[in-house]
Amino acid sequence: MIVLTDIRKSYFVGDRELPILKGINLTVARGEFVVLMGVSGSGKTTLMNIIGLLDKQTEGRYVFADTNVDGLDDESLADMRNSHIGFVFQQFFLLPYLDAIENVLIPIVYSRKDIKHPRDKAKGLLGRFGLEHRIHNKPSQLSGGEQQRVAIVRALVNDPDLILADEPTGALDSKTGGEIMDLFRMLNDEGKTIIVVTHDPKLATFGRRLVRIEDGAISEDRAT
Amino acid sequence: MALFRKIGQLREFVEEVLKILYYYRGRVIFSFSGVALGILSICIIITTIDGANKKAQVIFETLGPNAIMVFGGSERQRAARVRVSTIRVNDADLIARVEGVYDIMKVFSARNVMMRYRDRNWQTQAIGSTTNYFESFSWGFQAGSPFTTDDYDRAEAVCVIGAKVYEELFRGEPALGKTILVGKLPTRVIGVLEERGGSVGGPHVDDRVIMPLTTVTARIVNERRYLSLVRLKTNRDLDSTIEDIRATLRASHGLKGNLDDDFTIRSSKDILAFVTVISGSLLLFLGTASIVALVVSGFVLANLFYLTIQERKKDIGIRRAYGATRKGILLSFLFESILITFIGGIAGISLSVILGGTFEKLFDIPMMFSFKVVFFALLFSFLTGLLSGLRPALRASRIEPIEAIRG
Repeated sequence: MIVLTDIRKSYFVGDRELPILKGINLTVARGEFVVLMGVSGSGKTTLMNIIGLLDKQTEGRYVFADTNVDGLDDESLADMRNSHIGFVFQQFFLLPYLDAIENVLIPIVYSRKDIKHPRDKAKGLLGRFGLEHRIHNKPSQLSGGEQQRVAIVRALVNDPDLILADEPTGALDSKTGGEIMDLFRMLNDEGKTIIVVTHDPKLATFGRRLVRIEDGAISEDRAT
Repeated sequence: MALFRKIGQLREFVEEVLKILYYYRGRVIFSFSGVALGILSICIIITTIDGANKKAQVIFETLGPNAIMVFGGSERQRAARVRVSTIRVNDADLIARVEGVYDIMKVFSARNVMMRYRDRNWQTQAIGSTTNYFESFSWGFQAGSPFTTDDYDRAEAVCVIGAKVYEELFRGEPALGKTILVGKLPTRVIGVLEERGGSVGGPHVDDRVIMPLTTVTARIVNERRYLSLVRLKTNRDLDSTIEDIRATLRASHGLKGNLDDDFTIRSSKDILAFVTVISGSLLLFLGTASIVALVVSGFVLANLFYLTIQERKKDIGIRRAYGATRKGILLSFLFESILITFIGGIAGISLSVILGGTFEKLFDIPMMFSFKVVFFALLFSFLTGLLSGLRPALRASRIEPIEAIRG
């Protein structure tokens, strides 16, 4: 699914090179549930952006879903993101002028896949996540946990291969956060590949594999 | 082009933009009203100019393309609305002998004459003319007939009344054969003219009473020497006929060297030219106003848009993460601004249709709504949306997804 080979990323401040990632080698197979752990400034967010095709590495090779994505242009990357990745963010990022189901349907608007009856599918998924009575509510009328569940349904609606979650519990209390992590666990049991990026040590054991990033390099990689 | 892969996606896209506009309605309403006002004035310009031209065309055709009119008083006196009688009855006979001249019509109009029928009074002009008056103006009758050569020769007290006078004195009752007082002269009504409506800057065309010239000059006012107007047609070239008439009148009035004419000659061409000048100044004033309105609303739109982009960074980021291309973002922002101005444009057109009637009554200029008006109005609103949306849309499309999401 994901093969990162000697990935390096540097930012340049004037003449000074500021290395963020210092040679990452990481392979994630289909069906894995990886927790990518690191303190802020460790480079974990940069790594997530590269994995999510939102940013490009300075050096190294990245093969995603059997495609070398290093030379792809804007349009092809947008297509890759749309068909393969579902994003979940700390701040949910639901659009305030759309109701729950319309937010869920955003990836469909840009989709190349032939999804049959997307509206019914979205409804079904919302129901599965306990949101059937919230379908036509605006984000401002939903609780934090509900908003994050809507965001997860949005990540799922276009049948992606990978769910990429950036601090998905960061804006939630620990009980609700635990529920969200249980949802990821459930999705993983159904075969979805999941990567959760976090700084929160409490989440370390929710996944099946823990990868720890320290100072731009992998310091620990073990099954949990 | 991978923006819309299915028709359904296009529909969702349009629905989404409408929701965005509704969400930001507070800001949208400003740019929207500006565009509506700009388009409103563009509509009024075009319809009014079309109406004025149409009217000029009607006047031109009514007078006949070969019509010439001779008035008393110099150009300058006429411009100052000073009325001077300088055209004598025998001048008309001299003009009649100019080569090519036919269908000569003499007019003397007595102003502010009181008409009375029973207890109703109406002050208007009594126009004395020759029997060809009605035919020359191709003016039809809703009742009765014109006066005859016999009436003319005997200075009979008969009259034909205009539609406005008929309305004021008779209020829809039959008028033929009834006697009205024209000044102090009891006069029999023998005809009622068809309504013609409107006028450019003068008295209402339907507000007149027409009688034999002889009756007016001998029995209503005592004025046997002068005429107010001689109207004629020519079967020669207009300009050379005018030159000959001018030379004849200058000789008859004893005007030598570089003394100014004491009369004015107008052809139907001059009337067309006059209306063109009116249309031109209208275009200048209203045109400037509407362009200013459009430019200002365009700037307002561009700036409000620019402000919202900061606020909508996350919106852009999430769309980019979920597969929107730069081009897609660019187009959706452009579409948004064009939609605002387009709806503004449609509102402007509708307003102009509603206000058009009022405007028409106020300035007495007919308005002509046409496909052209709608086309230009929509074109201008489209361009305003495109031009003011371009810069903000480009900026939005250049936002990187990570920058937006981190923001």
